[in-house]
Amino acid sequence: MPVPCRTGCGKNAMLKRPKTGDALCKECFFWAFETEIHFTITKGELFKKGDSVAVAASGGKDSTVLAHVLKTLNERYNYGLNLMLLSIDEGITGYRDDSLETVKQNRDDYEMALKILSYKELYGWTMDEIVAQIGRKNNCTFCGVFRRQALDRGAAMLNVKCIATGHNADDIAETVLMNVLRGDIARLKRCTAISTGSEGTIPRVKPLKYTYEKEIVMYAHYKKLVYFSTECVFAPNAYRGHARALLKDMEKIRPTCIMDIIYSGETMEVKEAVSLPSQRVCIRCNFVSSQEVCKACVLLEGLNKGLPKLGIGKSSKAKRMLEEYNAKQHKSLEEAIKDINEEYEKNNCISKGKVCRSSCKSKQTAQINKTHKTTSETCCNGQSDEKLNTDNDITNSKVKVLLKEYGLSEPAQDDSSNLIAVKIDHSNTEKVGNATNDDDFEVDSHNTDEQIVDEDDTCGGACGKIDSLHISF
Amino acid sequence: MICRKCSGPGSLIIRKEYCYCNDCFITNINHKFRACIGKNKILSPNEKVLICLSGDASSTVLLDLIHVGLSLNNHKKLRVIPYFLHIIERDSEGEEISKVIVEQCKNYNFNITLVNIDEYFNKNILCNDNTMKNHYQPSISKNVLLNIPTSISEDVLTKMKQNIFIKIAKQLKCRIIFTAETTTLLATRLLSNIAIGRGSQVENDIGFADKREENVKILRPMRDITNEEIDHYLRIKELNPATDILGKGYGTSLQSVIRNFVLDLQENYPATVSTICKTADKIGSVTDNVNKKKCIICQSNLDCNQLNLTAVDATMFSRKVSSKVINSNENLKHIEEGNNLMFPFIYEKLCYCCSRNISQLNDPMLQTLVCRNDDK
Repeated sequence: MPVPCRTGCGKNAMLKRPKTGDALCKECFFWAFETEIHFTITKGELFKKGDSVAVAASGGKDSTVLAHVLKTLNERYNYGLNLMLLSIDEGITGYRDDSLETVKQNRDDYEMALKILSYKELYGWTMDEIVAQIGRKNNCTFCGVFRRQALDRGAAMLNVKCIATGHNADDIAETVLMNVLRGDIARLKRCTAISTGSEGTIPRVKPLKYTYEKEIVMYAHYKKLVYFSTECVFAPNAYRGHARALLKDMEKIRPTCIMDIIYSGETMEVKEAVSLPSQRVCIRCNFVSSQEVCKACVLLEGLNKGLPKLGIGKSSKAKRMLEEYNAKQHKSLEEAIKDINEEYEKNNCISKGKVCRSSCKSKQTAQINKTHKTTSETCCNGQSDEKLNTDNDITNSKVKVLLKEYGLSEPAQDDSSNLIAVKIDHSNTEKVGNATNDDDFEVDSHNTDEQIVDEDDTCGGACGKIDSLHISF
Repeated sequence: MICRKCSGPGSLIIRKEYCYCNDCFITNINHKFRACIGKNKILSPNEKVLICLSGDASSTVLLDLIHVGLSLNNHKKLRVIPYFLHIIERDSEGEEISKVIVEQCKNYNFNITLVNIDEYFNKNILCNDNTMKNHYQPSISKNVLLNIPTSISEDVLTKMKQNIFIKIAKQLKCRIIFTAETTTLLATRLLSNIAIGRGSQVENDIGFADKREENVKILRPMRDITNEEIDHYLRIKELNPATDILGKGYGTSLQSVIRNFVLDLQENYPATVSTICKTADKIGSVTDNVNKKKCIICQSNLDCNQLNLTAVDATMFSRKVSSKVINSNENLKHIEEGNNLMFPFIYEKLCYCCSRNISQLNDPMLQTLVCRNDDK
C-alpha cells in the first residue's frame, strides 16, 4: 500500500526519515535534507560571503556528501564561497590509498581544487610504520593528533578562512558519550560546539552537525554519489567502538536519543572550580597547544626514541618517562665512563691525576674480569695482561683518526669540543636499549685512546650532540 | 589472602584486587557512609531526616547503616531524627515489597510511613502511618506508565517519587531527605540522563545534593558505595532485600541497554563507574537563569534559549520541513513558535526532557494531569 509523501506534494513516499519518522518521497527528502543543512549554516553563522573554505575530504560518505551539498547550496543560495578539497594521506595501505582515488574523482566531479598532504612528508612516519612500532592499541590517538595538525597546516597553505569537516550527529553523540566515559572534561565542553577554534587558528566547522548518519547514507545512495565505504583497518581496537556500539543500540530503541545527547552536551558546562588547561603555543613547532610541548611533538619524540607510550596516558608522566630515559642514558654513560677509567687505572695507575708510567702492572690476577664491574679503586688491579694498549694493532680507521688527533702520550684535555663517543661492548650497553644511533651519548674520559677496543661503531669525532631533539618540559 | 588493613586473614576481594576481612570491610562501608554525610557539612545536629526506602538492596543497607549509626553511644552517634517512607508502586509486586519493608523496619523498631504513588496527583497527601489506599480503584499512575515508551517511564517514575518525597518532607517538617543510590546506579543514571536530554541537570540528579527545592534537600549518602560492596555487606550481615533487582526496569529501554553496557565495560576497565561519577561532579550547567523559572515537573531551572542554534531548533525545523510543502524561503525564519507539538511549553513551563516526555503521553487527559503541579 503506497504511502503518500508527508508534505502533501502528491507523490508516493519512497522512504521514511530516521530523524522524524516522516515518510517522504525522494525529491522532498532531498529538499528537506539540503534545507536543514542550509538552516544550520545560516542560523549558526558558519560562513561569510566571499570566504574561501577547505572541505576536509577523505573520500568517505560524510565528506563526499558534504562537498556535494556545499556546492549545491553555494549555488542555490549564493553563499559566494570559494570551495576546495583538502585530503590527508596517512599511509594506511589498503584503506587510504584507495580512498584517495575517490577523492580525486570528487575533485573532477565537483570541479574543486584538491590538495593532498601526507604523514610521510610532514612527520616522516606513515601509519603502517607507526602501528608496527607501537602495536595495535592506541593507534587512533596518533592518527587523530597528526591528522588534525596536518589539516591545520594544509589550511594554512591554502590560505582559507575555515575548514569544513563532515562530522555528523552520530559522531558528535559518540564523542559526548566517550568523553563522559573517560572523564575528559576539557573535551566535553568543546565537542558539541559547531565551530571550534580560537585566536590564531583556523576554525573548523561542522555543517552536518544535526544530520543523522543514516540519512547521509540514504542521500548518498539515492543521489548515486561516489564514495568509499570501507572501515579503517585499525578501527576495531579503538575505545570509541564501545561508545559507538552503545549509541547504535540506543538508536534502535529511541532514535531521537541522538539529538537529545547533543542537546545535553550543549547545555552542559564545566563548573568554575574545576581547573582546565589553558591554551598556549608549543615551544617546538609553534602550533596551538595546551601543554608546553604539543601532543604531536610528544608523539613524534616517542616514536623516534622508541618510547611508544610517551604520548599515551597522562602528559605529566611523559616528562617522567623522558627523565627516566635520559637518566638511563646518563647512567649507562656514567658506568661506561667509570669502567673506562677503571680500565685505564688498571693499566696505568693514576696518582693525583698523573699517569704512572712505572711498570707496576702486577701480574697477580690471572683472570681477566670480563664484566668490568670492579669496585676497587686501586690501580693495577691485575689487568696487566690485557692487551688494550694503543700499541696493539688497531684496525678501525676511525680510531686511527682519533689517535692521530688526540695523541697517545699526554692525556687529552677535557674540553667539550673534543669529546669522543665510545660504545663499549659489555653488559652495560644493554641498558642503552633502544638508542637508534650512537651519537646519543658521549664519554668524558681522559684517556679514551688507550681504551679503544676494536669497536665497529665508535662515533668518529666530536659529535657534540648530547641528545638528539633536546627536550625540556 | 591477607586483609590489607589489619593483616589478618582476609575473606573477600573487591575490585579484583583489594582484600579485606569481614570486620574491616564493614567498618570501611560505615566510614564511607558517615564520611559522605560529614564532609559536605549539610547536617545539623538532631536534624529531622526523611529516609526513603524502595526495598531494594541498597535501601536495606541504608536502613542497617542508619540503625548502626543511631545505636552508637559515643560522640560518633549519628544525630538525626529519622522518619522512614516507602512509596508503593502499583505493579504486581508492590504489595509484597511493602510488607517486607514493614517487617524490616519492625526489626529495628522504626516507624515507617507508606504512601501510594497515586498520591502524586493529590495536592495534600494524607499522612497516616501504615495505611494503604484502596487498591481496587484504577491506578492513574499505572495508566500513565503504561502509555509511554519504557525509556522514559523510569524517568517519569523517579520524578513522581521525588515530588512525593518533597511533599511528605514538608508536611513532616524535615529539611533533609536521604535516598539510597549507589555509585553504579548513579553512573547508569548519568548516561541515561544524557541520553534523554537532561544534561544540564546532572549536578542535581547525580551529585551528592539535590538543591532544586528551596527548603528541602535530597542527599545521597551512599554514592561512594558500589553494588559489589552492597552485595558483600548484605551477605556478611545476613540481610535480605525486599526485591532482588537493583533499579529494575520495564522491559527493554534505554536504561537497560545502558546498564548492561556499563556493567560490561566495568569488567574490562574497572575504573569506569568511578570515573563516570567523578565526571558528574565536575559538570554544571550553562543556564544563567536570572528569572529563576523552573520546570513545573522536575523543578530544574529552565534552559534559556541562549545559544544561537541548539538541537531544539534543529529538531523543530526538521519537523516543519518534513510536514508542509514550503517553497518560499520566508517560512524558514519563523520556526520558533511558542507552543508547538514537538516540545510543548518548552522554555516557558517545561524543561527539554519533561517537554519531550509530555509530548509522548498519548492521552491529553494524562498530559494535563501530569502537569497539574503548575497551579501550586
